[in-house]
Amino acid sequence: MMSVGELLSQFGDKYLQALWTTYGLTVLCFAGALVLGIAITVMRICPIKPLQWFGDFYVQIFRNIPGAALLIVLVYALPYLRVMLSYYMCVLVAVTLIPSSFCSEYLMAGMNTIGAGQIEAARSLGMTFFQIVKNVVLPQALRSTVLQMTNLLVATMLTTALASQVPLNPADLTGIVTYINTHAVGGITAFMISAFFYAVTAVVIGQIGNRIDKKVRILR
Amino acid sequence: MSNGKIISQEPIIELKHIDKHFGSLHVLKDINLTVHKGEVVVIIGPSGSGKSTLCRTINRLETIDSGEIVIDGSVMPKEGKKLAELRSQIGMVFQSFNLFAHKTILDNVTIAPRDVLKKSKREAEEEAMQLLKRVGVDSQAGKVPAQLSGGQQQRVAIARSLAMHPKAILFDEPTSALDPEMIGEVLDVMTELARDGMTMVIVTHEMNFARRVADRVIFMDGGSILEEAAPEEFFAAPKTQRARDFLNSLGDRESRS
Repeated sequence: MMSVGELLSQFGDKYLQALWTTYGLTVLCFAGALVLGIAITVMRICPIKPLQWFGDFYVQIFRNIPGAALLIVLVYALPYLRVMLSYYMCVLVAVTLIPSSFCSEYLMAGMNTIGAGQIEAARSLGMTFFQIVKNVVLPQALRSTVLQMTNLLVATMLTTALASQVPLNPADLTGIVTYINTHAVGGITAFMISAFFYAVTAVVIGQIGNRIDKKVRILR
Repeated sequence: MSNGKIISQEPIIELKHIDKHFGSLHVLKDINLTVHKGEVVVIIGPSGSGKSTLCRTINRLETIDSGEIVIDGSVMPKEGKKLAELRSQIGMVFQSFNLFAHKTILDNVTIAPRDVLKKSKREAEEEAMQLLKRVGVDSQAGKVPAQLSGGQQQRVAIARSLAMHPKAILFDEPTSALDPEMIGEVLDVMTELARDGMTMVIVTHEMNFARRVADRVIFMDGGSILEEAAPEEFFAAPKTQRARDFLNSLGDRESRS
């Protein structure tokens, strides 16, 4: 079995590329999940019943199916509907949809911290539904869920490991282990290197999240 | 009228045959009320009499079963843009202040003028600072609500209402959540508003304040308006037994304390 030094000297550039693939997927998926999660949440609280139903249904679906199953559907079933997505896009979509449902759940919980009185005050000032959402509901919900969103970012990064189940070039941090072990004898060490990158990134994300939370937390 | 003030005959708020139930409880029974421009109407009554509900009904924060609410000649619809627009013309001050917790004091006052009235940031902020000065909290403009005392928060809430240039302001028990030593500072601001000719509907338990500031006192019990009179008339000689009982119970409480 190869040592860490041997692995890094032989596959260092591959690891680096893999790290960027994972980071790229993480950033894109998390950004997408935030945007979608916010949109779905607005639907769930809006006064139009069918939109509320759709939002609730969406969350029930994507919160409750395994990411791997969703990826399989995207890769193998969509072509039957004449929708052909690249492998990369399939991963991107799967790892966006699932966190977006969790994002919405966190936001719904965050909204419970807003006093009903503040919403009434906004209504009494003549604000419309969207103005209230924009000025009062979302800013407070987001600021009170920084820690949950931090966890969601870490979870999203770990979920991008689904990319190892499809052929990607360059591969992601998990996929690269398979690559190395088919080209050399990396064994568990090859995986430990990837795990190290995941863990260090997660710790850094956690620290940044804590700091943001302290800064934006709402005094009550 | 009471303060020698001449009240116009121009109606700003008209409630016509308002009925409302909470489940099987009939909380508002055929309420008819007209508030004229510049008039200060104080609503009193025992708890559960429907006075807060009535106040909140005026800008439709409470739904109603039947009846009509007219604001300065325009019928208030149940929902939609027109409702929001009419609400923007009627200020509201709540028992629990309800300032926006994530915004500074200045932003609390400017947000609606900027977003609803589409004023420029500069214009809104200049006016907000003047209003904050008027209610005596301009030195707190950069803080957030949680850093202020209850009395200060309530005065900010009044400034926030004033920033919309409302045709009337509703006060729903504005001093009930305040420590006793802070009640005065809020009542002072309200007294000054009344003197400046603001149209006001005030639900309160502060009888001395009602006596001093009201043009008309409304006594409610069991979801109905039982009496309407000038304050000196009402407090000296209430017509109904229930009003007499209510005033007596207050007298007892005050003499006990």
